[in-house]
Amino acid sequence: MALDTAVRAAFERVLDPRDVLSDPVKCRAYECDGLTGYRVRPDLVLLPRDAAQVAAAVRVCHEHGVPFVARGAGTGLSGGALPVADGVVISVARLKSVLEVDPVNRRAVVQPGVTNLEITAAAAPHGLYYAPDPSSQQVCTIGGNVAENSGGAHCLKYGFTTNHVLSCEVVLADGSVVTLGTDTGEQAGPDLRGVFLGSEGTLGITTAVTVRLLRAPESVRTLLADFPSIAAAGDVVSDIVAAGIVPAAVEMMDTLAIEAAEEAVHAGYTVGVPAALVVELDGPVEECDAQFELVKAICEEHGCTRLHIAGSPEERAKIWKGRKAAFAAVGRISPDYFVQDGVVPRTRLAEVLDRIAGMGEEAGLRVANVFHAGDGNLHPLVLYSAAAGETERAEELSGAIAELCVEMGGSLSGEHGIGTDKACSMPKMFGEEDLATMHRVRAAFDPDGICNPGKVLPTPRLCGERPGKYKPHPLEESGAIERL
Amino acid sequence: MNSPLTHPAPTTTLRPTDLAGVRDAVRDTPGRIAVAGAGSAAGWAGALEPVDAVLDVSGLSGVITHNPGDMTVSAHAGTPLRALVEELSEHGQHVCIDAARIADGATLGGLVATGDAGPAALVHGTLRDLVIGVTVVLADATVARSGGHVIKNVAGYDLAKLLHGSHGTLGVIAEVVLRLHPVPQRTATLVVDAPLARAAEIAARVLEGPFEPAALEWVSDGSGRLLVRVEGTDEALPARVSRLREVLGGASATDIVSGERHSHPTTSGESAVRSEDPWLRHAELTRGTPDAAVLRIGAKPSVLPGLVSELAPAAATVGLGTGVATLSLAPDAVADAHRRVHAVGGTSQLRARPPGADAPAWGPPPSALPVLQALKHALDPDGRFGPGRFSPWM
Ligand SMILES: Cc1cc2nc3c(=O)[nH]c(=O)nc-3n(C[C@H](O)[C@H](O)[C@@H](O)COP(=O)(O)OP(=O)(O)OC[C@H]3O[C@@H](n4cnc5c(N)ncnc54)[C@H](O)[C@@H]3O)c2cc1C
Ligand SMILES: Cc1cc2nc3c(=O)[nH]c(=O)nc-3n(C[C@H](O)[C@H](O)[C@H](O)COP(=O)(O)OP(=O)(O)OC[C@H]3O[C@@H](n4cnc5c(N)ncnc54)[C@H](O)[C@@H]3O)c2cc1C
Repeated sequence: MALDTAVRAAFERVLDPRDVLSDPVKCRAYECDGLTGYRVRPDLVLLPRDAAQVAAAVRVCHEHGVPFVARGAGTGLSGGALPVADGVVISVARLKSVLEVDPVNRRAVVQPGVTNLEITAAAAPHGLYYAPDPSSQQVCTIGGNVAENSGGAHCLKYGFTTNHVLSCEVVLADGSVVTLGTDTGEQAGPDLRGVFLGSEGTLGITTAVTVRLLRAPESVRTLLADFPSIAAAGDVVSDIVAAGIVPAAVEMMDTLAIEAAEEAVHAGYTVGVPAALVVELDGPVEECDAQFELVKAICEEHGCTRLHIAGSPEERAKIWKGRKAAFAAVGRISPDYFVQDGVVPRTRLAEVLDRIAGMGEEAGLRVANVFHAGDGNLHPLVLYSAAAGETERAEELSGAIAELCVEMGGSLSGEHGIGTDKACSMPKMFGEEDLATMHRVRAAFDPDGICNPGKVLPTPRLCGERPGKYKPHPLEESGAIERL
Repeated sequence: MNSPLTHPAPTTTLRPTDLAGVRDAVRDTPGRIAVAGAGSAAGWAGALEPVDAVLDVSGLSGVITHNPGDMTVSAHAGTPLRALVEELSEHGQHVCIDAARIADGATLGGLVATGDAGPAALVHGTLRDLVIGVTVVLADATVARSGGHVIKNVAGYDLAKLLHGSHGTLGVIAEVVLRLHPVPQRTATLVVDAPLARAAEIAARVLEGPFEPAALEWVSDGSGRLLVRVEGTDEALPARVSRLREVLGGASATDIVSGERHSHPTTSGESAVRSEDPWLRHAELTRGTPDAAVLRIGAKPSVLPGLVSELAPAAATVGLGTGVATLSLAPDAVADAHRRVHAVGGTSQLRARPPGADAPAWGPPPSALPVLQALKHALDPDGRFGPGRFSPWM
């Protein structure tokens, strides 16, 4: 059933008719996000030009009971921006202004379509930056970051989007506009901004975001270290933490990931070693230097077979380039792969990686690992060949790994979100009463259920479907963004 | 700072000792319920209306799991933070919050429920930034959990945030999971005597530099002082302190051995070293005196000093980096103070007030009030928990 013409006319009254797309060919561009296996062509795509138009469009949705899905850059990897049949997509792509950079108060106010990296670009002249750094940061929007509570390699020390967003202007499901949060961390009453952060577009559309900016650190030190086993590298991470050091980032790669990355970008990684760590420290120069010496000693204690210290910004960039290239590079050693995103307590990393290796062997599939070791956020890559008929087995293995993370006391997702992809796994992590409570929260924001329905919380309809083959995001294929 | 009971003693006091006990207590007790922790903030926010029962969570105490390697801890909500901090310090870890009333025995649940924080909020934020999981009992005895034991987690809604600042009105917090941080090897505090305007200028210079202060507060009970705390390693901190001292221009320095600032005693009798700790005075001034109304305000750091001067508090602690201040005022000045804070886009809430004083707890309602009301209705449709706390908002 297509949306009737009266609804379309109503949208055309509140937006410029040219900003209401109904041509099926044009709408097709919005039929999926980075999780390309799920596709639904929306009936209409709306491209409002300001917050007032977003609110007006949502009011039309509310009046006519039309479900809507907010969309940023569409880089989400869990199908969060998947359109709803008979619904509309509301893109914030045109709300792209940096409204204010306030160096005195170290904050910025931006529209939701501003990309993560554009915030830092606007802050840089003042010696400031925006800390959360998803690897899609060149293209993903702050609105999408808010919805997904996005993180990046440096979030171990600096925290996630939720720790850096002070307030959001939000259009609620009835078209009313409210501000969640305040100019400071101080709040009067329950923290509604905190509930909205990470709600994956199910509680409203954000039309302006006030973020905290940080002063760029005085000093940054980066090293790459090889180890004879995953366990040894894991012990290094534990000992760094036990020594009271909070690194800016700690990333781990296994043999397969190293091999793929090195083949792709020649970053100077050692092919064949069982594990490599990238450790980065930042802060005041005295502190950074003292702790760096300690980190080096810890690496050596655990049988580090090679320690490479970045001697210049170029060398540092090269080390990171290898790490960042690992995902895409895996495509060189396998025709197809699934990317999983789970979290385990850091102390169980070695055990979990062992279990994953065992599960891979049993399934007759290789699994490459490249992940945020500091916060236990795994990204196992399940390699397979669709041509050889391995798709189903790979998908099962990938799903089993996510559930293994939960069994280990971890989480179904560390940064890509639940979206459409993992909604049906939520009962593995949460009980009925937990999910029912989340439903109540959702209904308080959106009583009619028109705001990104079907995402996050399981619905029977979605749970019958399978996502289909993983494909790289078009921006990834074009080399515009990399996974991390 | 406990306020007197506003009505005859309630008929029932419930003291469950485990989660099932909380659930049963909520399910089997009809009527309105006040949730009580240690009572350190009993008088904060709106005055509690008559209740049929008090649910005292102090029997719900102790660590559930602490994994030092993961730097996470889960504990029962009635655990005094002070006790938790002591236990964790053996492992060189702590919860990065230093609210003044921790010394009064404030419980984890109560600290989350009041959204309280101390000077360390400059770097670590409030408890909402440290809570990674929560178990809550709702008014219909639903037991709900969100988050978990890992610091990175984007599965489902973050209910812990919703309870942060809820003052016992949305549910009974039963268990809390927290992210921990290493206790710094060394802490130093530099003290500069300065009136507020000059302190603000110095603070701006410190924040512009590479010093990464751990706390930056102006305190006053007549004459003012700026306190700048830095934390770091034994080897590196002295050099940082001397660089910082240059910027501050002849500041006196108090070196505080790591860990000690968490054990602020409230009573007299502390050791000579501790009584020199300028943060003890800070905590005292934050708590206020029994004859004053204590107002917590938040505003952009750039407007905060002007605002504080205008309100002319008898005593104040002012976070020049955080934008959060705690002011001691005459009770009859509170209503006007709420208005002035809101006029510059800030937020305010009443903490303590003297017995019998009738100062309004809240200022003008936020634009999201309808959402708050809808959430209250969704989670506690009969208005059982904490009646009056958000009066007149809901
Ligand atoms: C037997 C008894 C009878 C009382 N009768 C009255 C009375 O009739 N009228 C009156 O005004 N006061 C009364 N009080 C005080 C009352 O309990 C407090 O106002 C209490 O509700 C506030 O919590 P708190 O003081 O323990 O402080 P804190 O522990 O610091 O708590 C402060 C705030 O947090 C909330 N809170 C604390 N722990 C939790 C938790 N685990 N989950 C959710 N919210 C939490 C509290 O409800 C309160 O709003 C009584 C106390 C007792 C022990
Ligand atoms: C190559 C690659 C690397 C990635 N690396 C990371 C990483 O390191 N860390 C990480 O966390 N994520 C990563 N991601 C995932 C993704 O980039 C983030 O989740 C990002 O925040 C999504 O932003 P977006 O603008 O593309 O949002 P979209 O994909 O358009 O939308 C994502 C969700 O947000 C909602 N939404 C969008 N805009 C709004 C708005 N204004 N108001 C309310 N809801 C809204 C949508 O409804 C949807 O549910 C990566 C993705 C790719 C393709």
